[in-house]
Amino acid sequence: MRQIAAILTAAAVCLTATGIPSPAGAEDFQYRSPASVEKELKTIAGQGTATLHQLTKTPGGNDLTLLQLGKKGSDLPAIMVVANMEGNCPIATEAALKLASNLVGDWQAELDSHRWYIIACGNPDGYARFFDKPAAESFVNGLAVNDDNDDAVSEDGPDDLNGDGYITKMRQAHPEGKWIAVTDHPVLLKKADEGKGEKGVWRLFDEGIDNDGDGTINEDGPGGANPGRNFPHNFEHYQSANGRWPVSEVESRAILGFAFDHPEIAMVLTFGRTNSLKSVPEATKKAEAAGGKYKVPERMAGWLGLDPETEYPIDELLEVARDATGWKELTEDQLLQWLGVGAAVNPDKKDVPYWTEISKRYNDFIKDEAELEGERLDPPGFSDGCIEEWAYYQYGVPTFSMDFWTLPKPKKEEKKEEGELSADDIEKMSNEDFIALGEEKIAEMLKKSGAPAQFTATMVIKGLEAGQMDTKTIAKYMKKSKDKEEGGGADATEEALYAFDSTTFVPWKSYNHPTLGKVEIGGPVAYRTLTPPAGQVVELVDKQLPFVQKLASLLPTVGIKDVKVERKSAGVWKVEAWIANNGFLPFPTHQGKRCQRPLPTIVTLAGSSVEFLEGKERSTLGLLDGSGGTQKLSWLLQVPDGQTVTVEARTFSAGGEKRTITLTEGGGR
Amino acid sequence: MIARCLIALALLTAVTLAAPRTLAGDVNLSFEHWYDGPAVEKALNDLRNAYPGLCQLQSIGQSEEGRDIWLMTITNTKTGKDTDKPGVYVDGTIHGNEIQATEVCLYLAARLLNGYDDIPMIRNLVDSCTFYIVPVVNVDSRWRFFTDASGFNIGRSPRVPYDDDNDGLADEDDYDDLDGDGEILRMRIRDPFGDWKTHPDDPRVMVRVEPPLRGEWRMLGSEGIDNDGDGQINEDTPGYLDMNRNYPFKWQPEYVQGGAGRFPTCAKVTKAITDFVASRPNICFNYAFHNSGGMILRGPGSKLAGLYSPKDIEVYDFLGQEGEKIVPGYEYLVSMDDLYTTHGDFDEFMFSNLGIYGFVGELFRSEEEQYRVPDEDEEEEEDDSWFGGTRDEEKQKFNDFVNQGTMFREWKKFNHPQFGEIEIGGWRKFTTRIPPTFLLPEMVHRNASHVMFIAGHVPSIDLDVFEVKDLGGGLHRIRARVFNNNAIPTLSAKNLSKGMTRKDILRIEGSGIEVVSGGVVDDALYDRISPVEHRPWMIFTSVPSFGKREVQWIVRGSGAAKITFESLKATNRSRTIQL
Repeated sequence: MRQIAAILTAAAVCLTATGIPSPAGAEDFQYRSPASVEKELKTIAGQGTATLHQLTKTPGGNDLTLLQLGKKGSDLPAIMVVANMEGNCPIATEAALKLASNLVGDWQAELDSHRWYIIACGNPDGYARFFDKPAAESFVNGLAVNDDNDDAVSEDGPDDLNGDGYITKMRQAHPEGKWIAVTDHPVLLKKADEGKGEKGVWRLFDEGIDNDGDGTINEDGPGGANPGRNFPHNFEHYQSANGRWPVSEVESRAILGFAFDHPEIAMVLTFGRTNSLKSVPEATKKAEAAGGKYKVPERMAGWLGLDPETEYPIDELLEVARDATGWKELTEDQLLQWLGVGAAVNPDKKDVPYWTEISKRYNDFIKDEAELEGERLDPPGFSDGCIEEWAYYQYGVPTFSMDFWTLPKPKKEEKKEEGELSADDIEKMSNEDFIALGEEKIAEMLKKSGAPAQFTATMVIKGLEAGQMDTKTIAKYMKKSKDKEEGGGADATEEALYAFDSTTFVPWKSYNHPTLGKVEIGGPVAYRTLTPPAGQVVELVDKQLPFVQKLASLLPTVGIKDVKVERKSAGVWKVEAWIANNGFLPFPTHQGKRCQRPLPTIVTLAGSSVEFLEGKERSTLGLLDGSGGTQKLSWLLQVPDGQTVTVEARTFSAGGEKRTITLTEGGGR
Repeated sequence: MIARCLIALALLTAVTLAAPRTLAGDVNLSFEHWYDGPAVEKALNDLRNAYPGLCQLQSIGQSEEGRDIWLMTITNTKTGKDTDKPGVYVDGTIHGNEIQATEVCLYLAARLLNGYDDIPMIRNLVDSCTFYIVPVVNVDSRWRFFTDASGFNIGRSPRVPYDDDNDGLADEDDYDDLDGDGEILRMRIRDPFGDWKTHPDDPRVMVRVEPPLRGEWRMLGSEGIDNDGDGQINEDTPGYLDMNRNYPFKWQPEYVQGGAGRFPTCAKVTKAITDFVASRPNICFNYAFHNSGGMILRGPGSKLAGLYSPKDIEVYDFLGQEGEKIVPGYEYLVSMDDLYTTHGDFDEFMFSNLGIYGFVGELFRSEEEQYRVPDEDEEEEEDDSWFGGTRDEEKQKFNDFVNQGTMFREWKKFNHPQFGEIEIGGWRKFTTRIPPTFLLPEMVHRNASHVMFIAGHVPSIDLDVFEVKDLGGGLHRIRARVFNNNAIPTLSAKNLSKGMTRKDILRIEGSGIEVVSGGVVDDALYDRISPVEHRPWMIFTSVPSFGKREVQWIVRGSGAAKITFESLKATNRSRTIQL
């Protein structure tokens, strides 16, 4: 009892302005509220060549602001940084502010090569709730939404019953209880496993009362939708917290509008809870929509003379379809449209090698330069309707996401036997490789991972073959059951939080609830699994932010590699130009090529008294691979000897170059 | 003398008042011509000025070129606010070249308003429900269809600059009215290796030839030049965004479906209409008019939309199959199965996102341009027009002998700046997808009648208290019933299963009573009750198509008990009983 009291006192003493207890020894740093963020942006804007764009006013009355840094009137490629789009990651906003102040300070040289568009917080309403008292984890904007479709709006939110400033949990001993305390750490709860002879004790609720008397607690809290899940790629309908439809929220609409008005945006970086650099988003989802092989619908197959059961590579199909229709301009995406192939859901196979190399560099950087060695929990995957996936799949630009922190992984003993496959191993395998392990090995692996008996190897193989599951889902399942086992059955994140700082759990304490009667209130404090204690922010951000500079240096850069001229006859000249991409990344990405964004390289040839015998005054180029990818253009011109012509390669978002050549033997270069 | 004159005058006045009005009533709209942009606005203003108590005219937003998007709301405000009554939303011409959809909307508005006094069925509709009519959705392109050189397939998109050919320039290679006749027609060029020749009986008609035969012409597409020198003609015309692919339900991007736009509701008009319909949860049905083909289409438009419940399909079938009789020749079809897949269309948004039933009306069948003895054996012949219909040869005879040759522009020589000598000619602007005006009056009337038939089937709910039983000890059992006289339920099955809107509420209240229990009566005879555990005085429900819902309360106390039925999609009802 004395111990608990001590913890409570410590928690009270360590309360910061954020409403979160900080561990001892924290620096003075505090997270900044949306209003302070606005102020900081104005200060930064005052220090450099900057423009503040008020993109929109949020339903909660906050400003959604974009800070533009860089040379005014320049046509430099731009990098758009969107932080805290889901409003659930305070450190992301701090990282964006630090990036901005670096760019007007020590990193000023960076502004010679790029423009920067920085949104420090994409969801200010949701983020503002972080500073609310009591603190509850809710990230929706200020729109009034009737979540439960009854006769009132936002009438049943959480209530801080014990007045400790946090919305935690309530547990009630009940015949229908399914939860029990974890043996080693009784403040943690886990679901009782009847199979192991465990008997449920507690019912679990969020702290609150049934304000509207409909029998459900906290089912219609304040606020509306999370704009961070309101983007139009893979939007999930019928979830009120995602918005009524894609782009229903003013925040997502304003950001999309800005992005499409600014074709110079060459890269999107997001700071938030996801991390696309730590491990590459794998191409394992079911629909194979890019770079793959396709079956042809029956009616069309008959018409093209193909077998509807066979999968054909897209290049071959394109040739056949062009011949059959006589339409030479038929594009790959038009054909994909005809084939009824839906939107891409996996990174294009030809983009993946670039992402893989960048991921390797990131992990080396984290280890060797940032010196952040410790193992940490895996960041969550992309949510449906997120900005990260939209920026790659629909906006077509290279997109990277950085988290900056997850809870450290509690130390566990490796129990792996020799030759045993870990979840990580399986996650990296293709479906085919996994099937190739053979039924016996798979059966053994299933048994070890504690899969239910009816979950047989044959079934798994069939499921993989039919595309109903993939190695990623198997690995996920294995990890889950493994974490459960190792964490004594508690939620792995809660377990990690407990190991990280056990004082962030409010000890269970009895409370007399108006409708439930006797309950206990306690459990983890809001936001603690989402963002580090304020005292760690400065160091974490400073150490990791330099990778942003490295990413910026990878952008494609289009230039003219060579121009050659050859006199074919008196006044007839052949001009050949090689256009090259000197950056690391391709231009555009392969997915960008498919969604026709960004606009391609435009090459023009101009000169006085030039007649084009072959070739065009203005042409567009296809995709330029990274690291020197080249495309050649040639013209046959009728033009007086000794004249000059100018070849220019231009892009909106990857630079360009102009060269003037004199038409003399041995000219060019 | 003076007195006699006065009497005569009075008689004359009385006679004038008693005379039956013409069908077009107080505002004479005529449907033997087309309403161009300004004429549509004038007609709407005339109606508004003539019937201030029955209609309102407001702009719900502005288009890309700054034109107002007009909404006419028709209901008798003396019998209740527009939002308190079940609503029917009707729009037309989301594709700017599908102009006759607007005439249907104008006719519907005029018929409802002019007919209010004299036609009881219409008066009943205008009293009991609300019509929201947007006669022109694509205001810019329909306006320009009349003012600019155009053709029947031109102007589908709104005027959103778009780089169709991905060359870094937007809208740089539009059609060109080469011969300056105000229309965009077809171009043909003599070519001994071409695959077209003229019909031996009618040189206006082009016939495709197959090897080993050789043609004499090559068709060069629509009138135009290669403005940007990229080797293609008219490949980047103003727009292209198809607003009927820009609505947000399961919207798919450009690379999956051309015309989708940059993001859902990126067009100003789709945004304005989305906001408007979302602000009117009383809308129960929507009817969006297009051309052509003679179809009454329902969703789903794509597999992504998911299945429709058999309960919803029953409602659709009832309304659609009657439509086939009201508009003979029009077929009631399922968009995805019978036509083609679409993502992000208005109809799917209304149904799958907002839970509102709806049809797309594809106005005009080219089969109506017949030139034959009606009972002549109709042998379906091979047909080269995408929309089906009569062959060009027969259409030419129809043109010559029924329309005095006004539908076709004879081929005429022209010196093309890029191709040299070509010929320009073909079916004119107001043809092919658009009926000759003499067919228009019947078309607008029948289609408007289908809308009115549907409006006659929006939820109409009766509330009865069919039992008040004294249980003794100060307790009463009260049973109430809501019954829907019409085909459209208060909430579609889709709405119910996805929880899109608030359900209907049956509520009991009274200062002298305490509600002891409440429940839904599954079967009154057998006393089968599903109890409502929480807040039993407020029971959430919905009223099915031609069906009923019954509830019961056990209350303690005495005095007045007021029972109310509250619905977003039907007029509220209440009954008061004395205990």
